[in-house]
Amino acid sequence: MERADIDLRNATYQRFVELGRAPTAAEVGATIGVGEDGVRAGWRRLHDAHALVLDDAGDIRMANPFAARPTDFRVEAGRRTWYANCAWDAFGIGAALHADSRFETHCPDCQDRIEISVHDGRPDDASPVFHVLVPAARWWSDIGFT
Amino acid sequence: MLLFRSEAHVDRWLAGREPGATIAITKLAELAAAWWHDRLSPDWQPRSREQSQAILDRIGLTGPFWSLG
Repeated sequence: MERADIDLRNATYQRFVELGRAPTAAEVGATIGVGEDGVRAGWRRLHDAHALVLDDAGDIRMANPFAARPTDFRVEAGRRTWYANCAWDAFGIGAALHADSRFETHCPDCQDRIEISVHDGRPDDASPVFHVLVPAARWWSDIGFT
Repeated sequence: MLLFRSEAHVDRWLAGREPGATIAITKLAELAAAWWHDRLSPDWQPRSREQSQAILDRIGLTGPFWSLG
């Protein structure tokens, strides 16, 4: 991966953290002095390299563990909030920020709310379990449904 | 990649469908820390499939289901 694409990727993630939402191509471009077309072309290369996920319009859909669209995994850390793509990513946001975090979701079976606080990487409630349907070999091709 | 109240809730939700893999939430937290800890580092580098597989192996997630192919 070219250094310029890594810099673009890092700037995209940084803006995502700062904004609490996916940045636009213009917002990232303003940060690194690249035009919107250049950002979009770089994002496409990063998407093809599995470094982030674009939607059909070419905007950010996922910068894992961060989700661009609202999900059932809302994560709070340092009085900021983001959406995560899944339970794994809900833990991942705190891990990426190196911060204690808290998230809430719902049991897909009974719809009960599940709230988890994570301190020093450890959840305060060890009773829930994590289930992944799709085998690891298919994670990328099924990234919207795993 | 969902969180359930317990394994009984997973079984009920599957309703006879082929299950995937169920792991403890503590194991998930361990996996997430190993997988995502460098995500915001300025020194981030893309990880090879072998490096990702090594993380799963280290956490004890082995076998065909956890093979990245």
